Amino acid sequence: MSVPMSSDDRQMLATRFCGMHLDTPLVLLSGCVGFGEEYTRINGFSNRDVGAVCLKGTTLAPRLGNPPHRVYETPMGMLNAIGLQNPGARHVVDSILPELDFTETRFIANVSGSTVEEYFEVTRIFDDSPIDAIEINISCPNVKEGGVAFGNNPDMSARVVEACRRATAKPLITKLSPNQTDIAENARRCIEAGTDGFAVINTLMGMAVDIEQRTPVIGNNQGGLSGPAIKPIALLKVHQVYQVCKAHGIPIIGQGGIVTAEDALEFIIAGASAVGIGTALFYDPLVCPKINAGIVDYLQRHGISEISQLVGSLRLNTPAPPRCD
Amino acid sequence: MTSDLIPSPQPSPARGRGGLHAQRNTLFVEQAEIISHQPHAAGQYTLRLLAPQIAARAQPGSFVHLSCGAERPMRRPLSIMRADPDHGWIDILYKVMGSGTALLAQRQHGEHLDLIGPIGRPFSPDPQRSRPLLIGGGVGIPPMVFLADRMHLQPGITPLAILGSEVPFPFAAQPSRIIIPGLPAGVIAAMPLLEDWGIPSRLTSRQGYAGCFDGYVTDLARAWLDGLPAEARDEVEVFACGPHAMLEAVAALAREFSLPCQVSLEEFMACAVGGCAGCVVEITTPDGPAMKRVCVDGPVFDARQVFSTP
Repeated sequence: MSVPMSSDDRQMLATRFCGMHLDTPLVLLSGCVGFGEEYTRINGFSNRDVGAVCLKGTTLAPRLGNPPHRVYETPMGMLNAIGLQNPGARHVVDSILPELDFTETRFIANVSGSTVEEYFEVTRIFDDSPIDAIEINISCPNVKEGGVAFGNNPDMSARVVEACRRATAKPLITKLSPNQTDIAENARRCIEAGTDGFAVINTLMGMAVDIEQRTPVIGNNQGGLSGPAIKPIALLKVHQVYQVCKAHGIPIIGQGGIVTAEDALEFIIAGASAVGIGTALFYDPLVCPKINAGIVDYLQRHGISEISQLVGSLRLNTPAPPRCD
Repeated sequence: MTSDLIPSPQPSPARGRGGLHAQRNTLFVEQAEIISHQPHAAGQYTLRLLAPQIAARAQPGSFVHLSCGAERPMRRPLSIMRADPDHGWIDILYKVMGSGTALLAQRQHGEHLDLIGPIGRPFSPDPQRSRPLLIGGGVGIPPMVFLADRMHLQPGITPLAILGSEVPFPFAAQPSRIIIPGLPAGVIAAMPLLEDWGIPSRLTSRQGYAGCFDGYVTDLARAWLDGLPAEARDEVEVFACGPHAMLEAVAALAREFSLPCQVSLEEFMACAVGGCAGCVVEITTPDGPAMKRVCVDGPVFDARQVFSTP
């Protein structure tokens, strides 16, 4: 059971992200926590322990998603290929959002589509709703059309962001794919196209094979790899995107394998203003208050009064040139 | 396609600002002490865990989501076989299937396991049907034992359990003292626990185990159903848990005899609270196909929804 945070703790953890006040830098990641209420089934879990909750990826029409198996554990990680199962944007706005308690945390929609027009339409539907912000999912690796096909091409990424920008004045957060050559260039184009923030990174494409059946374990053949196995990759991507963002004041949700407060702090030091928690919830549904407490402890030990002071505080090594003598 | 995939389409008091908190705080995370950890043949184990909050609320069909060890941090869903609310323990029967359950098998008496539970929509027997037929296969046996436990003190309910396994049963079978009309001669092996409760059981296997029926659970179930008078057959309701192929055969048998049938399913699972939609099964609804989460929409489903008519 979590111990309620003191007001001092809350003050240290509170941060701003794309103009939103977040009670803590923790953001529950899209696809891991349904439509915001599911984890509250667990005694001791509270949406108040996190700064924001990203809702399940939503398209214009309902989608059934991919066939099973959809999830599979791999060494220090997992593969998933859900395939954007969702009831459609209209249903989410009309039937689900009214049931969420917006006093507990911020809720962020996650929009996806097969066409630029679909992204526009879904964003427009969420624009006319109480949702706090909109995450553009141009990096889902588990659908045949859209998703990562947009996210791996800077021109297409920019077109999607432009379309969403036209559809809303709410904060727009673009979720970037690690499955691309130059994530920094993509980030640059998305900033030009009007994004307010980034989520870095989505899952990496991967596969597992059933050697008895000689088939991929995942029904979709391939899936997105998440969990601690991808943390070093995610950290580097956050660092690279931060180099582009810092001049523009564009904040980043750093995500990919965060399980402990130390993991979260690594991302914040590398340039993340907030940190995403996903697979770690599957390990421990009560992990968030533990991460909050660990961050507070770190800040106190280092005499830092606010988490924002730590963002991007990474001091790079300056390797000496190789000596020949 | 239904337009209402997540969450579950049935109106639930658990959701909504009006009844928002009804579903909240219904699952418990417990650090459960291992009271006993008994090995059986073929990599099967029975765990008895001190988990009073889960024991107090578990129902037949409920499962726990359990951390096996740090090297494999994803949890494993395991059915509850028995729950004693008075003494706060639950029993789990599992078989080593992979790296997670292999780690679990190494855990010792006195250690603690991190559990979430009790999870899932349990079996819901029709009180009008007094002859429940419980069919369990392999590690699908535990929910049937739990169901039998909850039925054995109910007056007027006369269940029959048919349990199958292709590896040695995780208990010492004994000749039954309870006569069941209509079964082939020599099929006398029973599960002692059920026998103690006065619930007739019979065992099946194709491995030639003594006293067991040589065939599938559905073959023996058919023999029993064939021997029932029509009016008695109308009192039967089928409950089943086991391998997918077995459940499909059970569902076909139930359909053939026009009997209601509830099946408990399993699927690879990540969150177990309905958040990730990783554990879905495709079911048939009046509005078309739908993907339902085994963890919270199940694990118990109406067999007719899962196995559509061929």
